[in-house]
Amino acid sequence: MKKDKKNSFNTPEGYFESFNDRLMDKIKAEEAHENGGIIPKTDGFAVPDGYFDQVESSILSKTSRKEVKVIPLISNRNFYYSVAAIAAIFILIFNITGNPTSEPITFDDLANAEIEAYLENTEFEMTSYEIAAVVSLEEVELNDILVDDLEDDIILEYLDEYVDDIEELNLEYPDYE
Amino acid sequence: MIAEETLVQELQKEESRAKAFEVLVNTYKERLYWHIRRIVLDHDDTDDVLQNTFIKVYRNIDKFKGDSKLYSWMYRIATNESLTFLKQKSKKLGLSDQELKERMVENLQADVYFEGDEIQLKLQKALATLPDKQKLVFTMKYFQEMKYKDIAVALDTSEGALKASYHLAVKKIETYLKEN
Repeated sequence: MKKDKKNSFNTPEGYFESFNDRLMDKIKAEEAHENGGIIPKTDGFAVPDGYFDQVESSILSKTSRKEVKVIPLISNRNFYYSVAAIAAIFILIFNITGNPTSEPITFDDLANAEIEAYLENTEFEMTSYEIAAVVSLEEVELNDILVDDLEDDIILEYLDEYVDDIEELNLEYPDYE
Repeated sequence: MIAEETLVQELQKEESRAKAFEVLVNTYKERLYWHIRRIVLDHDDTDDVLQNTFIKVYRNIDKFKGDSKLYSWMYRIATNESLTFLKQKSKKLGLSDQELKERMVENLQADVYFEGDEIQLKLQKALATLPDKQKLVFTMKYFQEMKYKDIAVALDTSEGALKASYHLAVKKIETYLKEN
């Protein structure tokens, strides 16, 4: 307790030292109230120390990937020339003699596994919704894209298990009236 | 700071692209970070989306026509990336959009990079109840102090509609904070 020499009133410990801070807090609070009512002025999000310095380099490293130099396994150029020459002779012979059985490679020649692997590993930047939007269901029967035929009872079982409300399906009912 | 027009020209030229892109990242990383953070809330998710945003900007800079400000255009990409990210996240977790938003706010309480107190947490809860557009307009105007004109370009909508959305958002948030 701090005593005033001229009168007998006391103030709590540290009252005058902390007065400025408390006054400023109050002024800030009042201002906030006048400006935006009860909505706080900040939203309390923080970032890890040094994040903004580090994020720049990680972005730049992703956009400027340098070409990796490939070191050939066999350095003898003559080897390649001879291989190329032999290949060229073979191609020439086949072209001249003609091969009636050889047909251009078509889409059907691709194994399903290869197509799947391609779809899996290639970044399309398309979501499945976007793909669905460009592939018309009228053209593609569901059974065309499934390995096994989808039996009715499998469909019913699925619907039974996963759909609570039949309305959610947004089915278009024919008008019977 | 380098003038925006010059920066765009340098970005579109092959030989000066790398250097100009560095300037671009340096200039806009913080602003875009906070924009994305206020949509996806979590720091690590924000980091992912921010990086994707800049990579998209880098790849598509040739398509930037210059009919809007570069930074509004980048905000648009950042907004789309953030919303797509949330959609994918809710799909992955098997949650509805609203359930995901509620869970994101709940997670804030344990987030070491959220230093907000009770009122700021309540604000996030209030924001989670708003439709996406109202929430976006509110955070862009109130916290990022952007002009309606720039927000309109970033969100691809009219200024009039934005003003209405903003006032509606403020009303709803105030009501929420008073009632809870």
